[in-house]
Amino acid sequence: MSAQPAVAPVALQRMVPPEEAARADFYALLASLFVGPPAQELIAHLAAARPIEGERALARAWLGLTQASAAMDSDAAAIEYDELFAGVGKARVSIFAGYYTGAPARDHPRIRIQAALAGLGLVRDPRATEPEDHLAGLFEVMRVLVAGVPGRPAASLADQKRFFEEHVGPGATKFFAALAVFPQANYYRHAAGVGAAFMALESESFLLV
Amino acid sequence: MKATKTTNRRNFLLAAGLGGAGVAVAVATGTKAVGGKKAAAAAGQPSGYHASEHILKYYKTTEV
Repeated sequence: MSAQPAVAPVALQRMVPPEEAARADFYALLASLFVGPPAQELIAHLAAARPIEGERALARAWLGLTQASAAMDSDAAAIEYDELFAGVGKARVSIFAGYYTGAPARDHPRIRIQAALAGLGLVRDPRATEPEDHLAGLFEVMRVLVAGVPGRPAASLADQKRFFEEHVGPGATKFFAALAVFPQANYYRHAAGVGAAFMALESESFLLV
Repeated sequence: MKATKTTNRRNFLLAAGLGGAGVAVAVATGTKAVGGKKAAAAAGQPSGYHASEHILKYYKTTEV
C-alpha cells in the first residue's frame, strides 16, 4: 500500500481587483470584435448589456454600441467586417498597428513585438495565423498582462504600461480614429467609439503609474 | 507616494465606470480568440497568447 501525501501543494491565485478585471474584459471584448466577425451570442449580449456609469465618453460610446447591437445581426456584421478589414486586395481600414505607426522593412513593429513578448514570457499560440501587429492580437496580449492566465499572474503595471505605450496605444488610437470616420463603417463605428474611449482612459490611467 | 499614486489610479478607473459588471457580462460568451477560430477569448480562459514553458516552470518555483 502506498502512502498518501499528508499535504498537497497549493497554488495561490491572486485576486484581480474589479477595475482591473473590467480592463481585462474591455480588452477581451475589443479582441473579439476585431479578430473576426462577432458571433451572434456576443452581439446579443452586447444588446442586453447594462449601461456604464461614470466617465462620459466611455459611457456614451458604450450606449451607442449596445444600441447598435440591438439592431445588428451576425450576418450583417460579417458583411461589414469583411468589407472593412478583409475584402479582396487592400483592406479599406488596416487592422495592423504597423500601418499606423510606420513599418520600416528593418525593425518592423512585428519584430519589436516578438522581442517584447519574449521578454514578458509570452508566446503566440501556434494556431495563430495573423501577424503579431494585428490589433486583435495586441488587445489579447493586454488582456493576458492585465488579468493573467492560469499558471501565470498578471504583469506589473510598469510592464503593462510599457507594452501599451510601445506597441498598443499609438496604433490603436489612430486605428479607432480612422474607423470612426470611415463612411462605410456602420456597426463598427460604434465599436471604434468604445475602443477610442477606452484607449484614452488607458493612456490617462498609465500616467498615474 | 506610491500608495497615493495607486489609490489615485484606482479611483480614476472606478470613476470612469470600470468596476461594473456590464462588460464582463457582454464578453462572457460568444467570443473568439486570436489563436483559433473556435477557441474562447472570454476573460480568464486561455487564448491566443500564453505563458511560455520556462516561465511556467519559473512560477512553479515561486509557489508557497
